[in-house]
Amino acid sequence: MVMRISENIKFNTIVDNMFKSQDSYNKLAEKIASLKEINRPSDDPIGMNRVLNLRESRASVGQYTRNMDGCESWLTITESKLSAAGDLLADARVVAIAQSTATSSAERRSSEAGTVQQLIDEMLTLANSKYDGRYLFSGAKTEEAPFSSSGRSVAEIGTAAAADGNTFDGSVTSGGTYTGDENKTYAVKIVTDGELLADTTYRVSVDGGKTWSDPPSTDLVDGAPPIELGDGVQLTFTEGSDADHYLANNDIFYVQALAPGYYNGNGEEMSVNIGEGTPFAYSVSGEAAFTDDGEGSVDVFGVLNELKTALETNDVDGIAACLDGLTAAADQISKNISKCGARMNRLEIAKKNMADMDMDLVGLISNVEDADVSEIITKFSMKEIALKASYATASKIGNLTILDFLR
Amino acid sequence: MSGLDALNIAKDSLLTHQAAINLTGTNIANSNTAGYSRQRAEFSTLVQSVEIAGMQRIYDQFLGVQINEQSNDLGDSEAKKDALGRIEMIFNETDGGGINELMNKFWGAWEDLSANPSGQAERQTLVSVSQSLASMFRSYSDDLRSVQDDANTRIPVLVNQINDYASDIADINARILQAGTEDTDEPGLNSLRDKRAKLLSELAEIVDFHSVKDEKDAISVFLSNGLPLVEGDQTWELDVKPDNIDPDPSFYNIFFKDDTDNVINTSIKKGKLAVFLEVRDTTVSNADETGYMDKLDALAAAIVEKVNDQHKLGYDMNQNLGKDFFVFDIDPEVEEARYMRVNSDILADINKIAASETVNGDGGNAVSMNAIKDTLTMDDEKSTFSSYYSSLVAQVGQDVAYVNRSVDHHTNLMSQLTNRKEEISGVSIDEEMMNLIRYQTGYNASARLFGTAQELADTLMSLVK
Repeated sequence: MVMRISENIKFNTIVDNMFKSQDSYNKLAEKIASLKEINRPSDDPIGMNRVLNLRESRASVGQYTRNMDGCESWLTITESKLSAAGDLLADARVVAIAQSTATSSAERRSSEAGTVQQLIDEMLTLANSKYDGRYLFSGAKTEEAPFSSSGRSVAEIGTAAAADGNTFDGSVTSGGTYTGDENKTYAVKIVTDGELLADTTYRVSVDGGKTWSDPPSTDLVDGAPPIELGDGVQLTFTEGSDADHYLANNDIFYVQALAPGYYNGNGEEMSVNIGEGTPFAYSVSGEAAFTDDGEGSVDVFGVLNELKTALETNDVDGIAACLDGLTAAADQISKNISKCGARMNRLEIAKKNMADMDMDLVGLISNVEDADVSEIITKFSMKEIALKASYATASKIGNLTILDFLR
Repeated sequence: MSGLDALNIAKDSLLTHQAAINLTGTNIANSNTAGYSRQRAEFSTLVQSVEIAGMQRIYDQFLGVQINEQSNDLGDSEAKKDALGRIEMIFNETDGGGINELMNKFWGAWEDLSANPSGQAERQTLVSVSQSLASMFRSYSDDLRSVQDDANTRIPVLVNQINDYASDIADINARILQAGTEDTDEPGLNSLRDKRAKLLSELAEIVDFHSVKDEKDAISVFLSNGLPLVEGDQTWELDVKPDNIDPDPSFYNIFFKDDTDNVINTSIKKGKLAVFLEVRDTTVSNADETGYMDKLDALAAAIVEKVNDQHKLGYDMNQNLGKDFFVFDIDPEVEEARYMRVNSDILADINKIAASETVNGDGGNAVSMNAIKDTLTMDDEKSTFSSYYSSLVAQVGQDVAYVNRSVDHHTNLMSQLTNRKEEISGVSIDEEMMNLIRYQTGYNASARLFGTAQELADTLMSLVK
């Protein structure tokens, strides 16, 4: 069947062809300009999905790497401070050995007591070191200086404190005798409010507010008796007078309970994530390094102060007795230095893994997203030729009709 | 048999061939007119001579119906491509800077805070990033809403166009009915028929209809529910009115002017008008919550809920339990992305950010907050926030890619049909030139005949003298 060709068909065919060529040409030009295969989600929807997910993974990897860098710095400083502490203990040992011999005198010993005092002062400065605005050795209580120069001979219960958002205008006092053997923070949370204390329900936490007692208790009494938080710690509530300021839901009260010794921090180690669901404990608590509570077994400041006292009182046997303590203290410090070392090793491996993963992710993203420049440019040249051909054809439109041949 | 017969024969032939040449002229003149169907002179024997029996318009009615259907599909796909293209631009994050990137920064800011819980710089950064995240949710939501509003405002415009087309078609029907068999202006009527075909094709872009041509050559137009827009020379007008119900009382309903209780939105199934109804009522947001904005709202609501729940478990710098971190700033509260904001209490005092797990100022709650990004919260606890969002973007991309292919497909089909129509109805200059030569030859021969007949008559006359 012979097809009839009208003027419009000639025109449409050529123009449609020209538009098609231009369209492919422009699409390639866009890819060259952006150097990306995917310039909008519809260019490759599945690819776009992958790219977004990969970007999220990369952001996480970057975050974990930053965390690890922070840990590395922290551990480096911690290690150097502990190392200095070890040196101080070595110096103390030298004094103890020298002064426990018969060749020394009461005056010598007395003067050496001053040396030991200086060692204690330096040790205190070390143990209270800060890094980046936080105390290195205070466990999780990074805002408070962990060690004081004067120790407690018996356990202490601090003053009761309240969160500043509480509206309660009565008073809360702490009391009792702490029977625990490590520093803890006790807290009380009001879970329902009542006008009278007797109608109020509360919960108790023995770990600073992380977990709460269940079921809640309702034995608040105005004045006496106090409520028991555990291990001998007591809180006494006294009613306020203003009807607008009774106990309210989520009011928080807390009190620090301190074991005997020189330490005011706690035994927790701070941690950050170095991988998905992978927490990494990076800080060394002062409790483990310098005290005999929790993980620690030697009260470093206790031993040093014993040495000083023995020197002051010219107690030769006392001085000799300190040697074992000093050795044990040095071992404890050493142990914690190794802990730092082991952690830093682990970090190094983890960091390398993260760096490898990052490179892989960059490669994967590039595979999906980036345009293969040489391939695109080749296609582009071909399309350019096609476009030129369609322009050449278009120029012939109307050039050849029967009119050229009629007289 | 007289010599005068020859004169009459020649006269009729001359007039006929003259008319044929004129018709050829009309065809040539309209060789570039859009929608013109070529006309052919039908010669038929008149006693001994010839006459033009009719000026036949060469046009395939069935092809016309197919073209209208394709025009409907093409109008539908192109309108969808426009609307979805706008939505795609909202979600286009190929260069970053969208919700995916901001979510990543948000979780990262919590992690940075966990390493230095009392750090003012870290707190300030977290606040800034949180504000940016909330702002981006609001902005996406507003952009999607404006696509809806835009679709809505176009509806009355299209309804007016439908009414205009219907009225023009009815006018042409009237003229054709009036003409009956006495009208001799065939070319004029043919040109009206061409115009009517063009009107139907343009109407088809807007709305899907069924057309019926009756024996008197009037074309009636019916909507998909069987109700007529045009019947012969009568029209039924459409009108719009705001529906006055939630979620947006300004959304228009469509109905016939003479039947205002019957909303006919659902009878409009394909074409530009149908697309705008669909974009407004389904694509962006719908009652089953499968629209793009519904999914964005679901994501915002889930993030706000999880973050707030975790925040309330932690302690701020003053040992207070955390309050809401994000709020939906509307009363009564509606959990939609367009209202998402950071709690103004936190903006006023960044120490109220609850980063700690205990009253001792640690960073444990910030760590837990960061861990939310890895929990499976969305899609019945099968997806994380990030993968839910990437899927949403991919969904938009897929929908756009599909409609792009649809446009290409229908454009090709339309092109084929148009060429087929041109093949039948289009003017070919080459052909018209040949016709011109043919008719001119006929004319010349007829003129010669006339001359000869005249000589015969003169000879006869001279006999009488």
